[in-house]
Amino acid sequence: MLALMQTEWFKLRKSKISFIILAGPFIAFLGGLTVDFTEADAPGVEWYLILLATNLAYALLFLPLISGVLASTICRYEHQEGGWKQLLALPVTRGKVFLSKYLLLMAIVLVIQLLYLAALYSVGLIKGVTEPFPLTIIWKSVLGGWVATLPLVALQLWLSILFKSYAAPLTVNVVFTLPAVLAINSERFGPYYPWAQPFSMMYISGDPNDLFFVPWEQLLTVVGGSFVIFYLMGWVYFQRKAI
Amino acid sequence: MMGRLMQAEFIKIKRKGFWFLAFLGALGVVAMQMVNYGVRKDYLFTQSEDRWGYYLMNIHSFTPLAIVLGIVILTSFLSSVENETNAWKQIIALPVSKRMVYLAKFTVLAIVLFISSFLMGIFTLLYGLYLGLGEAIPSADLMQYSFYPYFASLAVLAFQLWVATVSQNQAIPITIGVVGVIFAYSASVLPDWMIWKWPSLMNEWNDPMINVWWGLGAGALLYLAGMLDFTRRDVK
Repeated sequence: MLALMQTEWFKLRKSKISFIILAGPFIAFLGGLTVDFTEADAPGVEWYLILLATNLAYALLFLPLISGVLASTICRYEHQEGGWKQLLALPVTRGKVFLSKYLLLMAIVLVIQLLYLAALYSVGLIKGVTEPFPLTIIWKSVLGGWVATLPLVALQLWLSILFKSYAAPLTVNVVFTLPAVLAINSERFGPYYPWAQPFSMMYISGDPNDLFFVPWEQLLTVVGGSFVIFYLMGWVYFQRKAI
Repeated sequence: MMGRLMQAEFIKIKRKGFWFLAFLGALGVVAMQMVNYGVRKDYLFTQSEDRWGYYLMNIHSFTPLAIVLGIVILTSFLSSVENETNAWKQIIALPVSKRMVYLAKFTVLAIVLFISSFLMGIFTLLYGLYLGLGEAIPSADLMQYSFYPYFASLAVLAFQLWVATVSQNQAIPITIGVVGVIFAYSASVLPDWMIWKWPSLMNEWNDPMINVWWGLGAGALLYLAGMLDFTRRDVK
């Protein structure tokens, strides 16, 4: 299993992956620089203003979309010139190949989230924010966003195995991600829409004592439920895929 | 030569869901408002006296996103036909000039996007009529919101086609495209010179026509740059 993940990483390392990874912090950094503190009416909110300014576009659109790009990239080598045959001719099970690709993707999304955190922090340093960094709250936001991508990455991995091109999985991703812009405005549908979850979980709200910014029931049913469905569907498809 | 090259491009996009995408994008933008108005029509009607104007504004809040995403998807689709199957050699080996090949691709994409914008205008009108927003249909505004974003986004089209055709790895144009979508979404805080701001029709002078001219002008320049770069590259 470990060896499989290592080979996946070797393949990925030569796929311009750093370019994709750095896009996230780049967006957050630029977004953070647009914040205007003169509008702040209360002292001590500078960090929150930075977070709010970057969060919307980042969590709502960027994170779901980029997770799809990553998934397509991790299947790129296999789609070229019989890569699937070569990989599956090795003494590995398809389930393990699927799992190792998935785990590596989630690890990369985590790296992106950590760089996002670093980008927020450096914006604060550049802007000369003197308040202490609200570490627990921002940790919650960063890790929450990561957990919310669990089902989205599973779906995109399935689609990326299914389609050869980048464009097709991206289309499906876009079709589901854009309505999240509306869904987050709705109290009725927002909590049940998986693509709105990265935003809900990165947005600062709710009971500060909860582990994340959304209730546990919502986390388990919507994020957990859609994760199980998407992962199983992808796994079953890959088991039966004709190579 | 041009006509036949374009015919070849149209054949390549056959059964790849290209036309379906053009239709889906147009319908999608209006469908967002169908959901929006379907859920809270009464509330939205109280928001403004000018119901048509408010409706068109709501539609337009999604248009730039849809156009930029559509451009990213379509350019990548069209250039991946050659990139993935190593077919560049075969096309360039034909007695055609590389410039014409590039022009044919750009033209096909511009046509598909134009038809998509046209469809969006029709869907917008039809759903607006269905909603019963009032007797006076603001046809000038309807035309503006349907076609201005298209012309303003030609610069993005030229840029994405350039990156997509010269990239072996489609992850690069797609990632740039995703960043561009975020720019388009954050148009209100972007400086006027950024091409991703233009489809939103916002600018310092509040004159949407300026964005159309910029889109055409910068689009032509980026197109030329892309074409020259493409013709100078080795075919692998």
